[in-house]
Amino acid sequence: MLVTWRYKPRKSLIQSFDPRAWIIFYACFLATTVLFWDFRYQAALFIITLITVLTSGIKFNEMKRAWIFIGGFVIFFSLLTFLTGRGGVELYKEEHLITRLAANFTILGWRPTLTITAEKIMYAVTMLVRVFSLASMTILIPYSLNPAHYGITFRGLGLPDKVAYGMDLTMRFIPSFGRDFMLTRDAQRARGYELEKITGGLFATVRKLAPLIVPVTIHAIVGSEDIIDAMDLRAFGVGPRTWLEQLKYRKRDRLLIAFGILLLALSVGLSLLAFGKFWVPQFLLALAR
Amino acid sequence: MTAVSPLIVEGLSFRYRSRELPAIQDINLTLAPSQVVLLAGASGCGKTTLIRCINGLIPRSYKGELTGKVLLQGQEVTELPLARISQLVGTVLQDPERQILGSVVMNEVAFGLENLGWERAEIRQTVDETLARLKISHLRDRQTHSLSGGEKQKVALAGVLAMRPNILVLDEPLASLDPASAQEALDLVRTLADEGMTVLMVEHRVEDVLRIQPERVLFMQDGRIRFDGLPGEIQKNVDYREVKLPAHMILAAAREDPVPPEIKPLLAAASSSVQTPLVQFKDVTFGYESGLEVLHGINLEINRGDVIAVLGPNGAGKTTLVKHAIGLLKPTGGQVLVNGRDTHQLSVAEIASTLGYVFQSPSHMLFAPTVREELAFGPTNLKHSPELIGEEVSQAVEIVNLAGYEETPPLSMSFGQQKRVSIAAILAMRSRILVMDEPTAGQDYKNYMAFMNSILQLPTFEAILFITHDIDLAVIFSNRVLMVNQGQVVADGAPAEVLRDQDRLRANRLVPTSLLQANLDYFPMTQKFYSAEGLAHRVPAGG
Repeated sequence: MLVTWRYKPRKSLIQSFDPRAWIIFYACFLATTVLFWDFRYQAALFIITLITVLTSGIKFNEMKRAWIFIGGFVIFFSLLTFLTGRGGVELYKEEHLITRLAANFTILGWRPTLTITAEKIMYAVTMLVRVFSLASMTILIPYSLNPAHYGITFRGLGLPDKVAYGMDLTMRFIPSFGRDFMLTRDAQRARGYELEKITGGLFATVRKLAPLIVPVTIHAIVGSEDIIDAMDLRAFGVGPRTWLEQLKYRKRDRLLIAFGILLLALSVGLSLLAFGKFWVPQFLLALAR
Repeated sequence: MTAVSPLIVEGLSFRYRSRELPAIQDINLTLAPSQVVLLAGASGCGKTTLIRCINGLIPRSYKGELTGKVLLQGQEVTELPLARISQLVGTVLQDPERQILGSVVMNEVAFGLENLGWERAEIRQTVDETLARLKISHLRDRQTHSLSGGEKQKVALAGVLAMRPNILVLDEPLASLDPASAQEALDLVRTLADEGMTVLMVEHRVEDVLRIQPERVLFMQDGRIRFDGLPGEIQKNVDYREVKLPAHMILAAAREDPVPPEIKPLLAAASSSVQTPLVQFKDVTFGYESGLEVLHGINLEINRGDVIAVLGPNGAGKTTLVKHAIGLLKPTGGQVLVNGRDTHQLSVAEIASTLGYVFQSPSHMLFAPTVREELAFGPTNLKHSPELIGEEVSQAVEIVNLAGYEETPPLSMSFGQQKRVSIAAILAMRSRILVMDEPTAGQDYKNYMAFMNSILQLPTFEAILFITHDIDLAVIFSNRVLMVNQGQVVADGAPAEVLRDQDRLRANRLVPTSLLQANLDYFPMTQKFYSAEGLAHRVPAGG
């Protein structure tokens, strides 16, 4: 059976809008964020994110796990880009060296060296802010969208009945998959299986993960067959469908959509005019001299 | 007869494409309106296939060879559009979890009507009426996944009833319900039939269904209908070992048969003289992240020789309590000791060698390509020697009656067989304590009676604990009953003491069974609880 995300009605900015309006705004916001590499632009977008998060009414405790997971992930990769300098090379051609840290030992004749340049620092920082904006705006959605409205939201965005209901099921499939995974892990641990003790090469590791992967996968397949049967038994897809829930755009929703589209249009314009490219502040360049 | 019969089945046979033998053969059946028809039979007898032929899933979703026909209101099922079938036949599946689609009760009940394209106002009105009729209006805005088992079953039923079918098909509707919820569900079925609906109810708990006086009883075996008659004729025509009959019928029938061997449980416990508790709960409290406390101050000891039945309503905290014993959950207050050691200091895998835990759902654990490998997984993790593992696996296979299936992929087996594989997988680990969460759910009567009997006589276990909704299991197999309600142990003692108090049973959503009653009646003479077959040879005839 499908479970839902931890939605609760809350007095919050995000929940004061029609879900369709919010999804449209969200899509515009994502596209805008992806367009720019200028830290100043990203900072402005981050303020919008921050306002949304702080007014969301979701307690930190409720989202703790999601934050820790995404936070850890983002920081790890930003650090990795900083240490290796990978990824940024397409954005800047020359680098200004601030300092070079060389280890006082060598490994097989190779001396680990960290070159810190103004560009690398800015790239890592911009990346961090950018991904945090994207991730934060995304995590808020499952906590703020009423599961009873998933279907009609997608229908209202112009998707056909079947696809809209499919999206509804998909949204709920993710937390259900998580629950099945936990149940399977518990059931196998009760048979003396220890995930922590898995060692060996990639192939061996995958083999030893079978007790987790197989039941979870099979469960998902059998579960979807059940869902299809249950839908068939209640005449799904025989004709145009009535959606019991109704959504109505109000003035504020139209304004939000307008704001989103304007933001995107402006951003596309700016980026076509070559604004918002990678930016390094003067003081960092000064440090390099 | 002028009126068209709601359901006629003529010479129906079906073979699944992937199977060699037909699942059902030559089924003939004509149902009259306003009747409750009970269809009983062991698992694999073909009842689920028959249901699929009636509700149109065969041949639409399941392919194979179909001969004969099914007529709904005189029209052939294969020629009717799905939308029409769904208004003629409403199907409630065994497990409501597999049927509920909506995330909120309101949406779930409205789902079929939305698909039929009804007007919104009409849908709302019908949903409200249906909820009111099932007395679950208060659940209207609840999220479906947060409901208890009994509530889910009623919501699934509401979703089907809202479409106003002429025929209601129920596939083992009582399986996941506590006895009080089961009784309510049955009363409701009776009312629906009295109001004109035809109800076909598949159930092997014959005793429970007989209480609402079905007009007709069918008994299926090996894909064929073996008996079709009145409830009064069951005793002579239906084998009491195959389905669960009322105690008085078994008492009468079993007297002619040889005396069943007496169960002498837990031989390992008798040989041990040490008397420290195997598992100890000391003031255990537990709450989930949300801050809600689920267990409140549990004190409990599991000792050598205990065969404990844990009873209590849906959502009482039984599974939560039992998961503490294997360390899957750690108490937020107090201590759980296994073999004198705090579970906070032990990994689940370490506890697994002492305490075997059979989960409720087999589909969450089966993964291996063959039954043999599936059963060897646990003992291998516990580093048993290959020779010992071989022995453990063959013994476990015997106990759950799956000999000959060693090389079969568990994932291709029926639900009932999978459940038995999951039990065997834990038996093969030869732990000292066995814990089972609803071992009989989804099993037919004959099979679960057989494996419960065998498990109790295994020489390896020092204590057994099982969670169940079935009072009769507690009566027959346990020597200690633990009643749990609202996160507390409300009664703990010998079955004869705990189960005697009818008010207490009702307060914990349990309903006295005919077997319990018979045992209580004869207790002054027997001084012990027995199965109906056992009683048959110990009490005077006609008593």
